[in-house]
Amino acid sequence: MSKIIFRLLLSFIVFVTAFIAIRQLVIPDSFGKLGHYRANSLEENKARVPYYKGTEKCASCHQDIYDLQFSDLHSEISCESCHPPQIDANTDCKVMPPIIEGTIEFCAQCHKMNAGRIDKGVPQLDIEEHKGDQNCIECHNAHAPWELTE
Amino acid sequence: MGTNRISNNRRKFFKASAALIGGTFAISIMKPLGLMAQTDSDDNTNEKDKFPLWGMGVDIEKCVGCGKCAEACKIENDVPKEPFYFRTWIEQYTVKNDGEVKIESPNGGIGGLNQSVPDEDIFKSFMVPKLCKHCTNAPCVQACPVGATYISPEGVVLVDDSYCIGCSYCIQACPYGARFMNPVTKAADKCTFCYHRISEGLQPACVEVCPTDARIFGDLRDKKSDLVKFLQENPTEILKPHLNTKSRVFYNGLSSEVR
Repeated sequence: MSKIIFRLLLSFIVFVTAFIAIRQLVIPDSFGKLGHYRANSLEENKARVPYYKGTEKCASCHQDIYDLQFSDLHSEISCESCHPPQIDANTDCKVMPPIIEGTIEFCAQCHKMNAGRIDKGVPQLDIEEHKGDQNCIECHNAHAPWELTE
Repeated sequence: MGTNRISNNRRKFFKASAALIGGTFAISIMKPLGLMAQTDSDDNTNEKDKFPLWGMGVDIEKCVGCGKCAEACKIENDVPKEPFYFRTWIEQYTVKNDGEVKIESPNGGIGGLNQSVPDEDIFKSFMVPKLCKHCTNAPCVQACPVGATYISPEGVVLVDDSYCIGCSYCIQACPYGARFMNPVTKAADKCTFCYHRISEGLQPACVEVCPTDARIFGDLRDKKSDLVKFLQENPTEILKPHLNTKSRVFYNGLSSEVR
């Protein structure tokens, strides 16, 4: 084999080997396993711990409140709609109970008069007119709004 | 003699070339390049049917714009609290008597939407929850230059945080404005249908907290799921159907003003 062909072949082999080696090094392990992405990323996306634990979890300690709420108009609302988790996903709710003041601004999120809320089964109030000095929950039981507290 | 030498060399050259091409081909089908893995997965095309196909229904006729979903989404997914980072948000559309359409979404609807137009000027008003539409033909996935955003086997469009280079092409490509650049992770961020929750059998956070059940989540392949029932019972539409994104978020009661 002449020298020039040998050199050509050699440089070609070196180039191909280098290409395969660099490609191997740069592309992550699981890339291309399921598609044009890192398959391990699916597991990484799954790895978060849920903050919202669900109504069943709350009911495991607060069965009485769950029963009361289920009996009344707020029955479709899950606990964590009003009582969102306070600190992080792993902190027990006893550490920082998600207590809600029941201020008029809080209840107004759903019940304030708004043209976009008419006829949707959510009672609408003219907050300015209905407003007193107290918080809503001083008269209304938030878990069973059909019952007045006094 | 001269002709002999040339043909001899040519034969050698062809032999060497054939060996090289053959060798390269042999190396290329070996595991390191992952080509073997791809041919393997081609045999299991039925595998896909074993996965659920997640989708969401949004009932505009039920949404009261309380903003609980947007708030819960931020808590659940550690989305920055500043009012321009949203994985889901609510818009209030108000059509005035003179035909003008006003679209408002202060703080994405967190804390409840307030009507700013006086009642006597309003022709109609409604709330539209927005989120990533998890398109079958996702423009963001096509735009990503590195494969950091992709459609999972369950039909959820996800972002690979650690692989994203932060070029923002996907944010520009999304016709629904559902993506943003997360200032903490420095990666594109978006709704994942709470992938960590649905993988455990829970509902996404926004669906969990919705007080009026205006959001319905379920498996489009399961003919008994709540979502399939919702689609059967209501005349639903998707947003921007002319873009052929084949989105998997279905709206009931969608007005022509919504864009």
